Amino acid sequence: MLQAPLKNIRVLDLSRVFAMPFAGANLADLGAEVIKIDTCQPQFMDTTRTITGPFPDNQPGELWWEQGGTFQNLNRGKRSLTLDLRSEESQKIIKDLVGVCDVVLENFTPRVMARFELDFESLRANKPDLIMVSNTGYGHSGPWSNFGAMASALEPTHGTGAFMGYMEEGEDGRLVEGEVPNKMGNSYSDFLATWTALGALMAALLRRARTGQGQWIDLAMYQTGTTVIGTGLLDFAFNGRRTLRIGNRHPFWSPHGVYPCQGRDQWVAIAVGSDEEWQAVCQAIGNPELATNPRFADPIERRQHQEELDQIIGNWTSVLTSYQVMNGLQEAGVPAGAVLTAKQALTDPQYLERGFFETVHNPPEVGLRSKGYIGRGWKFSKSEAEIKGPAPRLGEANEYILGELLGIDEARMKVFADDWTIGNLPEGGGAPGTVTLEEQEELGWIAEFEADYLGLLPPV
Amino acid sequence: MPAGLLEGFRVLDMGSGISGPWCAKLLADYGADVIKLEIPGCGDDARRMGPFAGDDPDSEKSLTFLYLNTNKKGVTLDPSTVSGRRLLDHLVADADVLVENNPPARSKELGLNYESLVETNPGLVLTSITPFGQTGPYNDFEATDIVTYALSGLMYHSGDSDQPPLRNVLDQSFYVAGATAAAATQVALFARLTSGEGQHVDVAVAQCLGAHLVQPLPYYNYMGAVKGRRPVRGAGFEELMPARDGYVAPSVQGSQPWSTIASLIGLEELQDEKFATGAGRVAHGEELKELLIKGLSQWDRKPLFLASGEQRLVFGMAQDAGDLAECTHLQARDFFVKVDHPVVGPAQYPGMAVRLPGETISGSQPAPLLGEHNSEIFGVELGYSAEDLVSLRQLGVI
Repeated sequence: MLQAPLKNIRVLDLSRVFAMPFAGANLADLGAEVIKIDTCQPQFMDTTRTITGPFPDNQPGELWWEQGGTFQNLNRGKRSLTLDLRSEESQKIIKDLVGVCDVVLENFTPRVMARFELDFESLRANKPDLIMVSNTGYGHSGPWSNFGAMASALEPTHGTGAFMGYMEEGEDGRLVEGEVPNKMGNSYSDFLATWTALGALMAALLRRARTGQGQWIDLAMYQTGTTVIGTGLLDFAFNGRRTLRIGNRHPFWSPHGVYPCQGRDQWVAIAVGSDEEWQAVCQAIGNPELATNPRFADPIERRQHQEELDQIIGNWTSVLTSYQVMNGLQEAGVPAGAVLTAKQALTDPQYLERGFFETVHNPPEVGLRSKGYIGRGWKFSKSEAEIKGPAPRLGEANEYILGELLGIDEARMKVFADDWTIGNLPEGGGAPGTVTLEEQEELGWIAEFEADYLGLLPPV
Repeated sequence: MPAGLLEGFRVLDMGSGISGPWCAKLLADYGADVIKLEIPGCGDDARRMGPFAGDDPDSEKSLTFLYLNTNKKGVTLDPSTVSGRRLLDHLVADADVLVENNPPARSKELGLNYESLVETNPGLVLTSITPFGQTGPYNDFEATDIVTYALSGLMYHSGDSDQPPLRNVLDQSFYVAGATAAAATQVALFARLTSGEGQHVDVAVAQCLGAHLVQPLPYYNYMGAVKGRRPVRGAGFEELMPARDGYVAPSVQGSQPWSTIASLIGLEELQDEKFATGAGRVAHGEELKELLIKGLSQWDRKPLFLASGEQRLVFGMAQDAGDLAECTHLQARDFFVKVDHPVVGPAQYPGMAVRLPGETISGSQPAPLLGEHNSEIFGVELGYSAEDLVSLRQLGVI
C-alpha cells in the first residue's frame, strides 16, 4: 500500500487565480490537507470560480460557482472555508487557523497582507515554525514591490520575449531575426511560479523536519521568469547580445521547425541534429538527390539554405497527418513530434498510457460529468500521488474547520452565517454571461468547436 | 548560496544538457552538496552548446554550462568501465539523490536503473528526467526541446493564430522539467523521513509542460472547443503593442476601472463610456486598437510601466537581456550574484527565484572545470591514493 508523502501536512491556501492554487492542488495530490479560503462575496471570490470558466457546454448551471473547468483543475482535492477577510473576526480566524497549519500559501500584494495583518511576522506569532510562500509579481522588497501583476503582461517584462518571435523578411528577401517579441502565453509565468513554489516549500519542509525552523519564501514571478533565461543574460554579460528571435529555427541545427500537415491547422515539429538524421529524413521523403545535394551537406549549409529546405519538407509533410510524419521519422531515428491540440492530447497514446488524465467524479448536484483532469509530470515508484477528489463546494468544510479544528460554538457560527461570513452560496450576484461558441470562433478566441466532442473522447 | 535549507543532503548530478543539471542546480542553490559526474574527455553535452563566452567554442566557455552548474563540484567518471562503476558505487553509497537524464534504454545499459542502484543504497532517490517518461509508446522517442513542446500540447497555443505555432524560449521545456523534478525529488526525500526508503522518480518533460494546459484542456472536455493561438483581432490589450522605444503589454486586468486605464494612456477619446466594459471593448475592438496604438506611441516603455504600477494597473513591458541586467529593481533585491570563473572571469549571473529572508546568501561558486574536484572527492573523500588516481586516468576512467 503506497503512502501519500504529505499526509500529515496541513496547508492554509489563501491564494487566488492560477499559480499558487495549482501549487496547493499538487500538495493535495500528495496527501496534504489543503484548506482553500473562499468567500461568499462574489466580488471577492477567486476569479476562477466566477469568470474564468469554461462551463459545461458553455452554460453556467445553477451552481455555476462550482463548475468552472479551470477552477476544478486548480483546486481539486482541497477543503473550502468561507470567510470575509474585510472583517477583523475573519482575520482572527485566519490567525487561529495558522496555529494548526504547517504551510500558508498566498499571493496578495504586500500592501493587502499588511492591511489585514496577515504578513509573515504577524502570522508567525501563532506558529513559530510556520512555512509561508508569498507569491507576488515583483517580490516583497525593492521599488516595484507594490506593483500588481498578471502573467500575460509579466511574461514580456521578465524578458522571455527577447528570445521568442517570428523571423522577418530582410532587405534581400531572406528571413532575418525578428524585431517583434512574442510570448508563450497560457499564463506561462504562473506555472513557473507553481513549480518554484513547490521546490522551495519542500526544501523548507525538509529543513523544518530536521531543525524545527520555519521559513518565509518571498517568491517573485519576475525573478522566476528571469532565471529560466540565464543563458541569454550571460550572452549579454559576455558577448553583448540582447535578443534572439529566430522563429522555430535553431541557432546550430537544421532543418528545425514546424511543418504543415493534413487537416486544419495541423503541424509536426522536426529537429534534425546530425548528418545521420538528415540522411534519414531524405530517405523518408524518398528523394535520394536531396541526400547528396552539397547545398544541404552539413548543418552550416542547411542553415544557409533552410528556406529552400523548409519548402521541400513542407511539401512532403502537407499530404500526411502529423502522426504519420512523426511515427515515420521516429522509426528512422529522427526527433519529430506532432503539435498536439488539447483534443489530441486527450486522446494521445502516450498521455493515456501514462495515465496523465485522472478521472474525477463530482457529486451529481454540481452538474458536471465525470471527466479527465490534469495530472503531474512525474511518477513515484513508492509513494502515492493522485487527484484526491473534485474541487470543494463553496464552504463545504465550514463546520469541520471552525467547529472541529478551532472549537467555535454553534451560536457563533450562526452569527457568521447570518452576516454571510460563512455559507454555501454567493451573497447575491448571478452567473457570469457567456459568449456563444460561434461568436468565440468568429472573434478568434477559439479555433473551432465540435458539438459531438463527448463521443470523440476516450471513456473515463 | 543560502546557508542551507538542504544542508547535509548529497546529490549526484549525472545529468547532461539542461534538464538534469537545472534540477541539480536548484537543489545546490538551496544548499545541497552537489557533485557533478561527467564522462572523461567530452563531459556534459552543454559544454558543446553555444553561445560561448567571447564566442570562443571552448568546453570551459559554454554559457549554458557555466550558468547551470554553479555551486557544484565536478568529477569525471566513466560508469561503463569496471573501475568507474566502483567509484560510482562508492559515491552512490553515501548519496541521497542521483539525478540523470539518459534515455531509458541507455540508463539500463549503464546499470543506472533503479533496480541496480538500490542494491548499493536503499535510501537513494533516483530522479530520471526523460522526454516522455520511462514507460509508454513514446518512451524511446528521439526528442529535443521543440519536439517535447509540440507533443505536450502547449506549443499549439504559442504564437499568433495567423502564423505557425511558435517555439518557446531558449529550451524552456527542460527548465520546466528541471524545476518540476527538483520539487518531486524533494517530495521523495520527505517521504523517506517516514518510510526510510528511497525510490525512483520518473519525470517526463512533455508531461511537465502538459500540466500547464489548465485552460485548453477543459475547453475541450467541458465544451468541445479547441483553443488556438492568440487572436490577431481584438483591441490589443494583454498583447504586445508598439510603444515609442519598443513593446509594451497593456492590460485591463486587475481591479481598477477603465477610466484609470484610459487616463494613464492619456488619450481623451479613450474615456468614451463604450470602452468601459469588456463587452464594449470587444464590440468596438478595431476602433479601440487604433486609439490604443495612437496613445501608446506617446510613451516610452519604462515610464508607462512605472506609471501603471503606481496606479495599481498591471501593464508589462518587453525587456531584453540588457534591460534586465540593468534593472534597478532586481539589483535592489540582490538578485544577481557575482561569479568569478577561472577561465572566463567574473560576471553577474542570475541568482535565485526566491528570497529566503533570514538566510545568509554568500558568494556563488563557479561551474567546475572538467574533473576539477577529482583529487578532492576521489582522493581525500574516498581515500584513493595519488597513484590510484594516476592509473584511473591512464585507464581513461576519470
